[in-house]
Amino acid sequence: MEYSAPVEAYTGIVRPMTIGKGAKAITIGGENILPFHFFDEGSSPNPPKFALEILDMEPYDWPDFLVEPYKDVISDPVKWAGRCEELGADAVCLFLKSTDPAEKDSPADQAASLTKKVVEALNIPVIVYGSGDDKKDAEVLPKVAEACDGEKLLIGPVLKENYAVVGKAILDHGHMAIAQTPMDINLLKELNVKLCHFFPAEKIVIDPLSPALGYGIEYTFSLMERIKQLGVISKDSMTQMPMIANFGGEVWKTKQAKESKEQGLLWEGMTAMCLLLAGANILVLRHPDNIKLVKETIGGEIWQK
Amino acid sequence: MIVIAEGIHVIAKTVNDAIKSRDKKPIQDLARAQAEAGADYIDLNVGFVRKDTEETMQWIVNTVQEVADLPLSIDTMNPVAMEAGLKACKKRPLLNSASGKTDSKEQMLPLAKKYDCDVVISCINDKGMPPEADSKLDSIMNTVAYANELGIPNEHIWCDPIVLPASTAGTGQDHALATYEFIKILPEALPDIKSIVGLSNISSGVPVELRPLLNRVYLVMLDRSGLYSSIHDVLDEDIMKLCRGERQNIVDLIYRTWDGEDIDLSSLSQEEVNYVKTAKVLAGEVLYSDAWLEA
Repeated sequence: MEYSAPVEAYTGIVRPMTIGKGAKAITIGGENILPFHFFDEGSSPNPPKFALEILDMEPYDWPDFLVEPYKDVISDPVKWAGRCEELGADAVCLFLKSTDPAEKDSPADQAASLTKKVVEALNIPVIVYGSGDDKKDAEVLPKVAEACDGEKLLIGPVLKENYAVVGKAILDHGHMAIAQTPMDINLLKELNVKLCHFFPAEKIVIDPLSPALGYGIEYTFSLMERIKQLGVISKDSMTQMPMIANFGGEVWKTKQAKESKEQGLLWEGMTAMCLLLAGANILVLRHPDNIKLVKETIGGEIWQK
Repeated sequence: MIVIAEGIHVIAKTVNDAIKSRDKKPIQDLARAQAEAGADYIDLNVGFVRKDTEETMQWIVNTVQEVADLPLSIDTMNPVAMEAGLKACKKRPLLNSASGKTDSKEQMLPLAKKYDCDVVISCINDKGMPPEADSKLDSIMNTVAYANELGIPNEHIWCDPIVLPASTAGTGQDHALATYEFIKILPEALPDIKSIVGLSNISSGVPVELRPLLNRVYLVMLDRSGLYSSIHDVLDEDIMKLCRGERQNIVDLIYRTWDGEDIDLSSLSQEEVNYVKTAKVLAGEVLYSDAWLEA
């Protein structure tokens, strides 16, 4: 008997989104198949993108072999960003760690002017993450958005506590928002619904939070999988956004990753692979070698069908 | 449908204080209001009653019986409190509840036989809470067989599939459907056995002002699948109107949504739109979020 494999054709599509402007721009999302289901009808026209993370202050808890590729530039975020571009990053993710009241509590204006310098120095787009302190971010992120008016940055985290203020600034200055909720499909939808009362859905990226391999990654795997299924199969408009997996901080604080270069690379690389399989559209990594490793693993040609 | 009034519950501070100070008034006010609202039974959720168990149970039961001429549903996990409560009832009470747990089977079910009362049997067993309609049914069937052996006939048994919150991330909506399915297949699997739900649990964890809407819509759905009895807030006038069939337009709208009809929301009132949106959530058609009416 002849066997023919079933072929699914879904009607939902993840909204494509372009980050950065002009020649700098990259596009994510746009797929109407589940992750890596190339055997189904439809396509995934924009392969996953890989950003490298930089901090606005010299990191004090990174293992030596993680600092190594950036050693000579790590005290200067603008040069550090340039190094990431040389090393093949699709984007730079600037984490404004120093603004955290628990770190240096550095002022919003300083963060804004630094972000502007980083953006101007690069030929790739920029993702900006505030410290995650909802009150401080409500001061910092609007200043960042204003200083980089029209640059189409991807800015977050937009949280349920500050979405009105932060979301408005992101929208007013022509940027895109990262809506972040703590690993819960219902809370994620609620934030998107509330944000969409004034913010266009096509300018939102979902950040469901991404723990490291061995530290709860299965929760995010199931969640990302569900988000993608709801968007592509059930056409739930509030989950049809691209997803970002930002796990550098989670991976590199584990004792396994810090133990040796080889193990650290694999820990980050495996975390990346898992979340790609779950449906992440853009990943934030810390070690540049992993861009090559993961890109080789997921292949290139298959995405072009 | 048999409606059991919830609200006389030790979790409520007024009720708890009243019991402690033996102040009849708050409890009697509530019981009177529940009787006037059209309750068929009044549920007395008394907790475990560790202190002065028998005397306390007698006091609560008599306090309510003085003002309400209705049968009572005695709701406690403590078999000693249960027996004291059942003994004090003037009308044939409902034992709420027994389960498939070994302790409960051995201590609660014999009381139902001894006092010849109706008994609620939940699908919980020693392994926990079975999640799907089939596994719920398997669990109940075992407990019912045990009850039958004790001499409790099917006619005296009310099955509770245990309603879980729809808002629970990931699984809540599936549970809501499993309970619906259970109610539907029950008559064929266990003839003469009645069904009962603790309705309000469907909206546990939901913003308080939105809870009645979920409760009402879920009740209409379960009623359609053949639900015999529900424990809920009888002081919600709208839910009682729905129970009495006085709002057939809303019932029809919920049924049409449930059947997958694509209803044009622009032709509806805001209230009707809210009912349609809620029915879509409970039918599992739309992912739950606390902002379900805003989407």
